[in-house]
Amino acid sequence: MSNFVPLETLDRRSWLRAIALGLTTLGTLEVEGAQHVHAETAAEKAKGPYRVKEFTAAEYKTLQRLAELIVPADQVSGSALDAGAPEFIDTLAHQNEQIANIFHGCFAWLDAEMRKRYQATFVATKPEQQTQMLDALVEAGRELAERQNEELVYQKSAVYKDFTGYTVRRANELGAGVAFFDWVRKMTVDAFYTSPVGFKDLNYIGNRALSRYTVPAEAMEYALKRSPFA
Amino acid sequence: MPQNTSSQEVYDAVVVGSGAGGGTAVHVLTAKGLKVALLEAGPMLDVATEFKEHKVPADYDHRGAEEGGKAYFGQGKPFGFFSTTSGGWQLEGEPYTVGEGSQFQWFRSRILGGRTNHYGRMSFRFAEYDFKPYDKDGLGFNWPVSYQDISPYYDKAEEFIGIAGTRENVPSCPDGQFLPAPPPKVHEMLVKKACDKLGIICIANRRAVITKNLNGRAACHYCGQCGRGCQTASAYSSSQVQVFPAMKTGRLKVFDLAMAREVLTDNNGKATGILYVDKKTRTEKIIKAKVVVLAASACESTRILLNSKTKEFPNGLANGSGLLGRYLMDTVGFGLSGTVPALEGMPHYNTDGYGGAHLFMPWWLWDKHNKLDFPRGYHIEIGGGYGMPNVGGYHGAARRWGYGANMKAKIRESYGTSIGFAGRGEMIPNIHSYCELDPNVVDKWGIPVLKFHFKWTDYEWKQARHMEKTFAEIITAMGGKVSGLSAAQRESQGISIPGTIIHEVGGARMGKSAKDSILNGYCQAHEMKNLFVVDGASFASNPDKNPTLTINALAWRACDYLAEEMKKGNV
Repeated sequence: MSNFVPLETLDRRSWLRAIALGLTTLGTLEVEGAQHVHAETAAEKAKGPYRVKEFTAAEYKTLQRLAELIVPADQVSGSALDAGAPEFIDTLAHQNEQIANIFHGCFAWLDAEMRKRYQATFVATKPEQQTQMLDALVEAGRELAERQNEELVYQKSAVYKDFTGYTVRRANELGAGVAFFDWVRKMTVDAFYTSPVGFKDLNYIGNRALSRYTVPAEAMEYALKRSPFA
Repeated sequence: MPQNTSSQEVYDAVVVGSGAGGGTAVHVLTAKGLKVALLEAGPMLDVATEFKEHKVPADYDHRGAEEGGKAYFGQGKPFGFFSTTSGGWQLEGEPYTVGEGSQFQWFRSRILGGRTNHYGRMSFRFAEYDFKPYDKDGLGFNWPVSYQDISPYYDKAEEFIGIAGTRENVPSCPDGQFLPAPPPKVHEMLVKKACDKLGIICIANRRAVITKNLNGRAACHYCGQCGRGCQTASAYSSSQVQVFPAMKTGRLKVFDLAMAREVLTDNNGKATGILYVDKKTRTEKIIKAKVVVLAASACESTRILLNSKTKEFPNGLANGSGLLGRYLMDTVGFGLSGTVPALEGMPHYNTDGYGGAHLFMPWWLWDKHNKLDFPRGYHIEIGGGYGMPNVGGYHGAARRWGYGANMKAKIRESYGTSIGFAGRGEMIPNIHSYCELDPNVVDKWGIPVLKFHFKWTDYEWKQARHMEKTFAEIITAMGGKVSGLSAAQRESQGISIPGTIIHEVGGARMGKSAKDSILNGYCQAHEMKNLFVVDGASFASNPDKNPTLTINALAWRACDYLAEEMKKGNV
C-alpha cells in the first residue's frame, strides 16, 4: 500500500488495515474521515425498485398502508414506508412460511373485519376508519396484556396457585387481530428504526471510527442542570 | 483402546482449548521455546468474515433478524446476529443435561478464541481477601495461593493484554497496570454523583481494551462494538492477541475441529497425550505430548477428566479426592433499569466510547458485613446511552404507545433516557451445585456428556435483594424512575438463572492437598505431575470479579512453572 493514498480512495479494507498498522502507513490519517465507509455501504445497496416476492398486489398495498400508519412521516423523518418496512416483511415472509402464513391469514382477517365494519377492504376505507380499526386493536391488545399480567401475578401467588377459575375469562373477539397487529407493528418498527431513516429520526450518531473519545461539555451541562445535583 | 491413527510427533505440550486459559498457555509456552499442539473443538477464526463491528442493520436485508426472521422465533444467534458468538446455550449434537429440580444453562463457544471473541472484557483483580474467603467469614474454601503470589502475574497479563483503567486504591478491587481510561459519559456522571451521595464507590471501569497502541495492536477507535469482535484486536481476544502471534513463532500447531475425548496416561502415573475426535473425518486420533494442559473451559475440562478413567482413577483422572465436578459456581446476577428525566431532550452525542460503561462500582461494603444479611459482595455495571437501534429494541415501546405519530414521538423522546444496572456478585460454593457424567447420554461424537445440578441458597437470594434495593436507590437519587419488578417478576426474575452470567468456574478446584482438591496452586494435578488445568475449573471461590483476567494470570503462572519444572526434569 502506498504511503500517499488519498483518504477518499481508501476502501473499507485498507481503512481497517491502516488502523491495524497503528496508522503508521498513512501517517496523519484522520480516522474520522473513514465515515465514508458507511456511506459507501449504503451506496452499494442502492438498487432498482423492489419486486414483491411473497404477497399479492392487494396484500402488499395493505402492508404499505399499515407501514405508513404505524410509523408516519413527520417533520423529523420519513415513514416506515419510506424506510422499506414492506420490503423487509415481504422478504422475510418469502423466506419463512410461518411468517408468510401469519401475514396472509391476517390480511384476510383485516379485510373481513373492515367489510363487517365499513363494507370495504382496509385500503378502500377512509383514513379515519383505518385508524379506528387500529385503535380498537391497540385497545384490545392492552386489555389482553393487562389480563395476562394479572394472571401471572395470581399464578405466582401462593394464595391463588390452586385457583384455576381466575384464568377463565371471556375471550377477546379481536384476538386474532391483536396477534396480527402485534406482528405487523413489531416488524414495521424493526424495519423503521434499523433503517437510515430511523437512524436519522433518533439522531443516532454512533459506530464511527474516532482517534479520541470525548464527551461534549454541552451535553454534560444540560443533564447536570436538570438533575438533582444542579 | 480403539483403533487410532497416531501421529509420530511428540510435542512438549498439548493444550486443549483456545480461550483465555489456552491462549495464554500457548503464548507463554511458545515464547519459552516449547513445541506446542493446540486443540480447538471449533473451526479456525476468520476475523474478516466473522467480525461485524462496523456493520449496521441496514447492510442486511434481514436487518439482523437473520434469514427467515429466525430472531422472531427465538432461534437467532445468542446476543443477536451481529455478535461474534460462535456457539450458544445449546449446540447441535452436543447436549448436556440438567438434574431434576435444578436449572443451569451452559454457554459454549466453538471457535478459535472461544468466548474471548465476544466477552465483556471487564478485567478486575481479585482482592487480597478474595484468596482467603474462609478466613474472612468461615464459608467456602481458601485458595492455596495468596494475592502476593498472583500479583506479578496480574502485572504480566495486564501489560501484555492491555487494560484501560485508573489507579484508585480501593481494597476490594486492587489497582493494576493500566492504560489511560476514557472519560465518563453523561449518564454515568449522574450515576457517580448519585453514588457519591449514597456512599458508594464509583470509579473508572477496567476493560481489556487498549487506548494506546500496544505490541503491534492499534489503539481503540471507539466504535463501541466489542461484542461483535474487533478486527483491529484493540479489544483483547485470545485468538488475535495470543494464538495468531504464537502461530508465527513456528512452534505452535493448531488442530481445529478437534474434540478432546480423554487424557491418555501410561502405567507410571503420567499423562502421555490427548485422544480426540477429528470432527472433519469423524475419526479418533492421538496427540502425544510430554505435558497435557487442559483449558477447555471449567466444565469441559472437568468433563474430559471425568471421561479419562484409569485403573488407578476409576472416577476420573486425578480425582482421588472425589471432588472432580464439585463446587461448581456461577456469578450472582441481577439487573434493574429506570428512566432519567434529566437526560430527556439532551443534545445527542456519540456514547459508544470504548465499548462498555466507562465507570463501574466496585464492592464498597467489604468492612461492613456486620450490617448485612449476606456474606461477600458484588460490583455494579452500568448500562445506558444512545445505542445502535436494533431489531427487537422497540417492541416494548410500540406496545406501550400503540402506533402512529404519538408512538414515534415518544420513542424519539425516550431514546437514550434509560439507565440500567447489573449486579455481579459472589456465590458461596455449595454441595448442591456440581456436574457429573450423565450415565445415559453421549454426544454425537460418542463422548459422555455432563449433567448439571445447581442451587442458589439464601446467601445469593439475599444478595440479589440488596442489589435491587441499591439500584433503586441510585436511580431515585439520580431523579429517575425505577421500572420496578412486580412480586411475580421478582419470584421468576429476581436472580439470574444459574450459568447465564457465563462465569461458571470450579469443578477441579485448587487446594493444599490431594485430599481436598484436584489441583495445586500452580494448576497442576496433585496426583499427576504433568497434567495442568489452566481455565476456570481451578477456582476455589468465585469472587465478584469477572473471571477472565484471573484465568489469564493463573494460566501464565502455571505455564511459567511448567516450563521451569520441565527444564528441571520434574514433569
